[in-house]
Amino acid sequence: MTGLQVDVNGKMRETNCDPATPLVTVLREELNLRGTKIGCGNGECGACTVLMDGRAVCSCLVPVGRAAGRRIVTIESLGEPDDLHPIQKKLVERGAFQCGFCTPGVVMSLLALLRHNPQPTDADIRNALQGNLCRCTGYVKLLESIGEIVREGLHER
Amino acid sequence: MSADFRVIGQPRPQLDGPAKVTGKAEYTHDLTLPNLLHGAILRSPYPHARIKSVDLSKARAMPGVVVAISGEDFPDKKYVNAGPVYADRFAMARDRVRFVGEEVAAVAAETLGQAQAALAAINVEYETLAAVFDVEAALAPGAPVIHQKPDLPPNITQQSVADFGGVEAAFEDAEHIFDATFEHGIVAPVCLETNGVLASFDAAAGSLNIWAPTQAPFFVRKEVAHVMELSLEEVQVRSVVIGGGFGGKSQSPEPIAIAAMLSMQAGRPVKILLNRQEEFLSGKSDHAKKMRVRSAVAVDGSILGRHTEFWVDNGAYTHMGPAYISAVRQRTCNLYRVGAAGFDGKLVHTNKISGGSYRGMGSPQIIWAIETQIDEIAEKLGKDKLAYRIEIANQPGDQTPMGWNIGTCALAECLAEAGRRIGWAGKKDAMPANRGIGFAAMINPSVGMLYAEGNFACVSIDLMADGRLRVGTQSADCGTSQNTVMGQFVAEELGLSGEQIDVLHMDTEETPPDLGSAASRVTFVSGNAAIKTAKVFRAKLAARLAKRWDVSPSEIKFDNGIASYKDDNVRRLTLAEVATQEGPFRVEDRYDIDMPRPDPKTGYGDYAATYGFGAQAVEVEVDPATGHVTVLKVVVVQDIGRVINPLALDGQMHGGIVQGIGMALREELTFENGAPVNASLITYKVPRIQDTPEIETAYIETNDPAGPYGAKAGGEHSINPTPAAIANAVAQAAFTRFRKLPITSADVLNALEEKKPLALKPWKRPYNLEVAAARTLYPSVLFPGLRKLGGAVGRKPKPKSTYEYVCPDDLQEALQELAKPERTAKVMGGGTDLQVGIRQGIYELDAVVDISSLDELRGITIDESQITIGAATTIAEIVERDDLRAIHPMLTDGLAKIATAQIRNVATIAGDLSQEKRCWFFRSGVQCYKAGGMSCPCYAVLGDNRHHSILGAGRCSAPCVADAAPILTALDAVVVVVGAGGRRRVPLREFYVWFGETVVRPGEIIQAIEVPRDRMRSTQAFEKSAGWDGDFADASVAVHMSWDGAALSSVRISLGAVSPLPVRAVATETALLKNALTAETIRVAAGKTVHGALPLADNKHKSHLLVNLTERAIKRCLLD
Repeated sequence: MTGLQVDVNGKMRETNCDPATPLVTVLREELNLRGTKIGCGNGECGACTVLMDGRAVCSCLVPVGRAAGRRIVTIESLGEPDDLHPIQKKLVERGAFQCGFCTPGVVMSLLALLRHNPQPTDADIRNALQGNLCRCTGYVKLLESIGEIVREGLHER
Repeated sequence: MSADFRVIGQPRPQLDGPAKVTGKAEYTHDLTLPNLLHGAILRSPYPHARIKSVDLSKARAMPGVVVAISGEDFPDKKYVNAGPVYADRFAMARDRVRFVGEEVAAVAAETLGQAQAALAAINVEYETLAAVFDVEAALAPGAPVIHQKPDLPPNITQQSVADFGGVEAAFEDAEHIFDATFEHGIVAPVCLETNGVLASFDAAAGSLNIWAPTQAPFFVRKEVAHVMELSLEEVQVRSVVIGGGFGGKSQSPEPIAIAAMLSMQAGRPVKILLNRQEEFLSGKSDHAKKMRVRSAVAVDGSILGRHTEFWVDNGAYTHMGPAYISAVRQRTCNLYRVGAAGFDGKLVHTNKISGGSYRGMGSPQIIWAIETQIDEIAEKLGKDKLAYRIEIANQPGDQTPMGWNIGTCALAECLAEAGRRIGWAGKKDAMPANRGIGFAAMINPSVGMLYAEGNFACVSIDLMADGRLRVGTQSADCGTSQNTVMGQFVAEELGLSGEQIDVLHMDTEETPPDLGSAASRVTFVSGNAAIKTAKVFRAKLAARLAKRWDVSPSEIKFDNGIASYKDDNVRRLTLAEVATQEGPFRVEDRYDIDMPRPDPKTGYGDYAATYGFGAQAVEVEVDPATGHVTVLKVVVVQDIGRVINPLALDGQMHGGIVQGIGMALREELTFENGAPVNASLITYKVPRIQDTPEIETAYIETNDPAGPYGAKAGGEHSINPTPAAIANAVAQAAFTRFRKLPITSADVLNALEEKKPLALKPWKRPYNLEVAAARTLYPSVLFPGLRKLGGAVGRKPKPKSTYEYVCPDDLQEALQELAKPERTAKVMGGGTDLQVGIRQGIYELDAVVDISSLDELRGITIDESQITIGAATTIAEIVERDDLRAIHPMLTDGLAKIATAQIRNVATIAGDLSQEKRCWFFRSGVQCYKAGGMSCPCYAVLGDNRHHSILGAGRCSAPCVADAAPILTALDAVVVVVGAGGRRRVPLREFYVWFGETVVRPGEIIQAIEVPRDRMRSTQAFEKSAGWDGDFADASVAVHMSWDGAALSSVRISLGAVSPLPVRAVATETALLKNALTAETIRVAAGKTVHGALPLADNKHKSHLLVNLTERAIKRCLLD
C-alpha cells in the first residue's frame, strides 16, 4: 500500500499507517511529533488539539486518511524552548499552565481563535477554549494571559 | 517583608515552562526505549467473584505476544500501603476479585493492538459472589465479606473512636443541640495525564528502571521491590515530567509492578498507559463518606462540644484509608474553638474502586458538613454568620481538644478580610434575589506525620562541571512548581539569582530519599531540607577555597555567584571556575521533623510543626428556572506564613478552588453494579473554562518560625473551604440546605419547585399504564429475569479499536461502497460519535465511508422559499453564517450550543441528527435492551436515571439529545435521503424510529436538510439546560412563532432531551393560539408540555426544567 501524504507544519510527510489510524497516533508514534498529547482519545478533553485547515480539531478523532490532503499544524510549528513564540513566552511568564499536559492543545485552540478573530471578547475566548480541559489551573491565569496576548497583539508577531 | 529577600517572594515562572509550552517536555506517555513491548491489562468485569482459573495459553500464542502473566506470576506478597496491618492487595488478583476493574492478567506484545487483541483470548473462569456497593449494605448482617480483620466486624478495616474532654457531658450542658447527617459520593482526580509506566528490567545488570508519573518515587521503589521480591538497590525510579497528581498518583499505582513483571519475564522494556476509562476504573479516587455531625452550643454561641460519627467507603482495598480517617477526624476536633470533641469513624470496604488521597483527603467534605452546621447555629442564635465565625475562630496560643498547639494563627483576620473583599457588610441585608454569599474556614497541619518512616526529606546539591548547580530532590513536582520553589530556597540561601540552578526530581539513584509529594509536605519539609543543604554547600565551598587560598573558611565570601577571599580582587572565582579548579562535588543533607507523634489510635497530640489557616467567601447566583448555580466570585484569604512564590501560590489557589467548585456542584462517579457509568470526561463533569469565576487571593504572612523562611504549606489546602462556602452561598440563594454533595442543578431546581408541584397527568398517554406496570415489576421480576436471559442469549457489545477506512471521491462511489454486501458500513461525517461508538462496541462495523469532503453533500444555499444545508456541512460552518442567522437565528444560535469548538469544526448537521443514544448504561458496555436485544432489560429503570426521558419512554428510556432535532422539528425541516433507488424527502417528525435509529435504510445517505423560510414575520427561540456549556441537554425547547401583524398565527414547539423522539408540544401550541398571551396563560400553556409525563426516580427535575424553559422561550419570542 502506498503511503498517505499529509502536510504537517508545512512539510509533506508520508505515513504507512492504516488510514483509520487516528492522526494523533501517527503524529506521535510515526512522525515523532510528541508535543500533541492524548488525554482521553475520544474528543472530550482537547489535549490532542491540532489545526486542520486552520480549524481546531481533536486529532484523536481524525482518521489519518482524512488528514491526507489537509494542512495540519501542531504545537511543534510554533517555538522552541530557547526560542519561544511571544504567545508561549507570555503563557510561561504569567503562570498560565502548571503540569503542562493540556498546554499544547490549549495553545493550538488559542491560535485558531486569534487567527480567525484577533480581538476576541471574554465570551469568545471562553467559547473557543471550552473544549480544552485543564485540571491544574482553574483557567484563571490562562484567561489573564490571553487578555494580555490580545491587548499586546502577540499572535501577529 | 518580602523586600528583605532577593528570590523568596518572587513570582518565578516554573523551570519546566519553556519545555512544556512547546510540547518538548517528556512525560511517561512520550518515552520509548529500543526493543519496546506494549502492555495491556485484563480487568475484572465483576465487582466480586472467585477466580476459578486463568488460562493464558491462547493469549500467549497470539501474534506478537511475548509474555502473558497473572497473579500467580508474582510472589506471595501484598502491597504495604498503609502499613502491614492493612496490607490486603496483591500485585494482581489471585483467587478473588473485589471490584470491577481489578487487574487479573496482563500481556506484553510488539504492538498495542496485538496486546489488546490478546486480552480477548485470555480465558478467566469466575464464580460470581454477592457484592455490596455502599457502607450500609457492607455492614448489614449477612453481607458478603470483602475483608475480615481479626478484631473488627466484617468489612470494617479500621475504627477510630475518641472522646477528648468529655463530649457527651457537653451535650447535657448545651442550650442548643444541632444534629445532621451529610453524605457525598466519589470524586475522581482527573489528571490530564493518565497513569502509565515504562519499566525496563535488565537481567544482566539485575536492575529494574521505572519511569512513571508518581508523586512518591520513594514508595514506588519500596513497594515494587517488596511485591517482586527484589532488593531495594535493584529498583530505581527515574525522572519524568508529570501531568498532574492531586493525590491520584500517590503510593504505587498498580500498573507499575505489572509492567515490571512483564519486563522481567520478557527481558525487554514494557510500556503500559492507562486509557481514560481505565483511569476512572482503577485509579485512586477520593473516598465517599457519610457524616453525622452533632454540636452542643451554649447560650452565648460557644461550641461546648462537637461529636462526629462517620463512615468512610474504603472501596475494595486499603490504600490511604487510615490517613483519610486521620485527616477527617482532625477537622472535626480542631476547626474553630470547640470545648470538647469526639468522633467515631469507621473505614468500611465495598466492592468498588479503592480510595486514594485526592486533594484534601476528605477535609473539603467534612468541612462542608461542619460549616453547614456553623451556619445553622448562627441562624438559630440570630447572629451574623461571618461575625459568629470570627467569634469562634481558633486563636494563637490555643490548645485544641485534640491537643494541637496553635502557634501562629490569623484565622479571624482571614475571615474578616474575606468578608470585606466579598462585600458582606453592604450585601448582607440587601441580597438580590437568587443570590447568596457563603463563608467557610479551614485548618491544615503544615505537613503531617503521615508515614511510619517519620517525616523527613533529603536534598542534594551538585556543583556540576559547567558550574551550574543541580538541586536533587526525590520528591515529585506534578506541575505545582515545587521544583522551582526548591530552586528558590537554594538561590536565596546562596545569594544567587537562580538562573544557574537546575532541579532534578524523582530519580532514586541520583537524588537522596524524600517521602514524596503528599500531605502538603514539600514546601515545608523538603524546603527546610533544601535550606539546610544549601548551608552545607556554602560551608563546603568555603572549606575548599579556604584550603586553596590558605585562609580561614569564615573569611570566604560567596555572593551573586562569586566566591572570594573577602573582597579580594585576585582570589575570586565564579562557580564555573570553582568547578574547573576544584572539580564537581556534591553535598547532601537531611531535615527531620522532630516531634512527638500523635496517639496512633486516637490521633491525640500535635500532628505538625505548625498549622495553616484560611477562609473563603463565595458569591453565587442561582437560575430559578433551571437550578444552575453560577459561582460569581471566590475570595480566598490564606494565613500562609510566607509567600515563597506568588505566581505558583496563586496558581495553586485557583486550581484548588475550581476543583472545589466541581466537588461542590458537579463531580460524582455514578455506578451500576459496581462499574462506573460516567467514566468519561463529558459525563464526569469537571469544571471547564466557562465555569471559571472571578477569584481574588490575599495572603496574610504570619511568618511561622518553623517553616522555611517562615512558610507554611500552600498548595493542597485551597480546596478545603470551597465546597462549604459554595454550599452555604447556595443555601442563602435557594433557601435550602443540602445534605449531600454534589449539589446539582437538579437538586436545586427540585428544592425551589418543591412547593409548586406540576400536574403531570400521565394517563394522557395510555401507553404509560403499561410502562408503569412494567416498572413496578422491574425490581422483583423483570430486571433480574431479563438480565439473566440477556446474559445468556443477548448480543454482547464488541468494542473494536479499528475499522476499514474508505474515502470515496463522489456521492455515487459512496453509495456503491455502502451497498457492498459483504460488509457492514456506515458513513462518517465528523466521526465524533461514530468512532467513539465503535470503540465502545455500540456500532459494529467493518467499514466506515468518509463523506465529509463530498461536494454533493456540502454547502448552504439560500433561495426565496427555503434553505438547503448539505448533510455534511459542519456545525461550525452553519453557526458562522450571518445570513442564516438573519433568517433563522434559532438555527445558528441553537447549534452554537453543541459541544465544543473542536467538535463543531468537524461534526455535521446530519451526524448530529443521526448519532446514537447517550444513555450511560448503553454507552458503558452494559447489556441493555438496545445494546443486547429483546432479551435484555433497560438499566435506567432501576439505575441512576437522572438523564433519561420523562415522556414517551418504553422499553428504552434514552432521550433524544441531538440539539438539531428539536430545532429542525420546530422549523418544519425536511431530511433529503438519497440511495440507489433515488431520492426521498422525510419530514423531521417522521425521521426517527427511536433516538439513534432513523428511517435511513442501509445503502442510503442523508443528502441535505431543507429548512423552509418564513412567509410571515416570525420569532423563534431555543432554550437549553445542560450540565456544562456544550454538554448534551438535560432538557431543551425550540419555539417558532408566526405572526399576522400582532396576532399569533401559528406556533411550533419542539422538546428535546426529555423523550426518545423530538416531541411537538401540541397541547401547549393549541393553548397559546386559543388564549390571549399573558404571563399567566403562558405559564399555564407551558405547563402542558409535561402532560403525559411519567418520570423516573431521579429525573423529576426535567419536568420543571421543561416547563420553565418553555415559558422562557415563549417569552423571548414575544420580546420582538
